[in-house]
Amino acid sequence: MIVTLRLFSVLREALGSGLVEVELEEGTTGAELVELLAENQETVKRLQSVIRLAIKDEYVNAGITLNDGDEVAFVTPVSGG
Amino acid sequence: MESWIDIHSDPLSVDDVYAFLAEDEGGGINIFIGTTRRVTGDRRTKLLSYEAHKSMALKEIASLIGRAKNKWPLLKVVVLHRIGDVPIAEASVIVGVATSHRSEAFEATRFLIDELKKTVQIWKRETFEDGSTEWQGETWID
Repeated sequence: MIVTLRLFSVLREALGSGLVEVELEEGTTGAELVELLAENQETVKRLQSVIRLAIKDEYVNAGITLNDGDEVAFVTPVSGG
Repeated sequence: MESWIDIHSDPLSVDDVYAFLAEDEGGGINIFIGTTRRVTGDRRTKLLSYEAHKSMALKEIASLIGRAKNKWPLLKVVVLHRIGDVPIAEASVIVGVATSHRSEAFEATRFLIDELKKTVQIWKRETFEDGSTEWQGETWID
């Protein structure tokens, strides 16, 4: 299945794009997706414990099972203002 | 209660915010303007840039306004945040409220800017005078 990552700020720069499509095995959870990225990407690894996931503008639990076509936003600690 | 929420890359206008908040019944209008700062610690900043998950951030701001409305009798509320490059000393955020009394105006404004900084999906990148850049936000603020 294909899932699209929406990335912002430090993660967008680290992965080189704000939208990244990844092919995942059926049944992959949000936490497993973050773990997969952390294995290959130093910035994701550093922020792994503070990344929150959101689908359709709502935070979701990391244990959620992802579906084909999901767009998953990676939200790191905010710093606006 | 009327509210005006926006996130955009154009300069923010305090005059427009005041014009929106001006209200016959309001005895107090309070406007907080957050501006970009030159010096953080011992480093000199050349430029600040902001990025947002816009749809999520707008929804989060609307939720904060809802919470504020439950706490204080607000007549009007404005929350504007600029994104993209914001030169030093220009406004990056404006929070304004109109209420019947000043204490509520101060408290509600404080609540909105404090919560915005903790929860709204906007990120800041500093570009320092030595050319290095740094995204802010390593931990969530409780």
